[in-house]
Amino acid sequence: MPRMKDVDVIVLAGGKGERLYPLTKDRAKPAVPFGGMYRIIDFTLSNCVNSGLGQIYVLSQYKSHSLDRHIQRGWLQFFSYPLGEFIYNIPAQQRIGSSWYEGTADAVFQNVYTLQKDKPTYTLILSGDHIYQMNYATMIDYHVENDADITIGVVPMPVETATEFGIVMAGADRSVVGFQEKPKENPVTMPDDPTKVLVSMGIYVFRTEALIRHLIEDAKRKDSSHDFGKDIIPKMVANRSKVLAYYFKGIEGNSYWRDIGTLDAYYEAHMDLVSVTPQCNLYDPSWPIHTVYSPYPPAKMVFSGGDDGRRIGTVLDSIVCNGALISGGRVSRTIVSPNVRVNSYAEVLDTVLLDGVTVGRNCRIKNAIIDKYVKIPSNTTIGYNLEEDRKKYDISPGGIVVIPKNTAFE
Amino acid sequence: MKRILVVEDDKNIQRLLQEELTDEGYSIDIVSDGKEALSFLGKARNEKPDLIILDLRMPKMDGFETMGNIIKSKHGAPVIIHTAYASYRDDVMVMAADAYIEKSHDLTKLKEAIKELLGE
Repeated sequence: MPRMKDVDVIVLAGGKGERLYPLTKDRAKPAVPFGGMYRIIDFTLSNCVNSGLGQIYVLSQYKSHSLDRHIQRGWLQFFSYPLGEFIYNIPAQQRIGSSWYEGTADAVFQNVYTLQKDKPTYTLILSGDHIYQMNYATMIDYHVENDADITIGVVPMPVETATEFGIVMAGADRSVVGFQEKPKENPVTMPDDPTKVLVSMGIYVFRTEALIRHLIEDAKRKDSSHDFGKDIIPKMVANRSKVLAYYFKGIEGNSYWRDIGTLDAYYEAHMDLVSVTPQCNLYDPSWPIHTVYSPYPPAKMVFSGGDDGRRIGTVLDSIVCNGALISGGRVSRTIVSPNVRVNSYAEVLDTVLLDGVTVGRNCRIKNAIIDKYVKIPSNTTIGYNLEEDRKKYDISPGGIVVIPKNTAFE
Repeated sequence: MKRILVVEDDKNIQRLLQEELTDEGYSIDIVSDGKEALSFLGKARNEKPDLIILDLRMPKMDGFETMGNIIKSKHGAPVIIHTAYASYRDDVMVMAADAYIEKSHDLTKLKEAIKELLGE
């Protein structure tokens, strides 16, 4: 069993998240708010802390300010410098060359001096883009016990999603024999289930020595896009390095793992959270998801009828965060983030309201994502007539209306 | 004629390499630090060196940083680290080079490495 001190963690947080636009207009994908009080990267960082990993580098580059601020405000307290723990955010352009990170492998290569200085026996590479709850220590143990050069976290996903992911072909002994990066056609399905493909989660445990060697080789190759999935792993499979697959098991025993890559995936993951028994369980005390804890007052719901008997503040099948005030409005199947206010006679259904949103009187809103601090004037209707909404707002392919930050209303 | 770029700040070693490698039949270009080397490699599109001899301890930009930039530029020419020190072998940028030769007035090892890397 390795000590967790022998492991450096590198979280790749440079994703642009173009298909999450306009939520990524002002922020990196890992900094996109999620689940009311969290941001997407909180899941990966919580997994690290809960797994006992305390040496963490976050590599960012694209619109990284809100991500950096979030780490400063929320995450420093989990790491003790005297105990050798840390979390550092490293933007691009620090050591080698003056270019942006060209691919996931280039991002790590540009920080290879950090690994040489720390000399961790193992390096765990993670993505800051995914929602899941996982104990990395189990995967690291598996890697060490089997003396692999690289162990890749894999999860079965529906075959229809194959075009979005790196597909892993694994033998019965769990050795990786092939790799397809986002195959447009003929994805290789799992031997025992033709409806599923084995997807790479973008989670890699490396022997650090093997990682450094392959990063250097890859950096020198002209034909490389410097990506772990596209370049490094296929090369390692081809040159007979010991490449193993690790079958992901979540904390709840299920295999809930989501790449929040699109607005519709973002919306669906939220609708999972407000379901009666969500696949992603935020309420497991053994695996808390941490975030920035802000000093907001308790949520409050007021008006139980009012003068006309119709002014009732109610919330059903929803998540409600601190600072929220449901003042005579009706909310159902909705994420109510901190400091949201829903005013009298308004009705909000099947919607994600981000921090500080105000919904005016008599509004009718459904199937929407409303970004931070948007003030929706009284009597506004959203989500009931997509043709009308399309003239004013972004609408996802799945029909979800998205109102970006700072949207002005006449 | 094969072209060799020498990146070296010590004037005596510059002269030594210039004379001895010219005698071997190579065309030699000399620059005095990493910054000059990168500028040379950037400009001399038609006179790309076939091999680079790189000192490590130099002013303005040392050989480690220069090596990182050579890798990033995908220049492709093999690089020989040519240094007075034995202790830099484990540096990651040095590991990325093609040979590591300790400085000596006897250039036999350096010449052998050049021949091997140029496939002669």
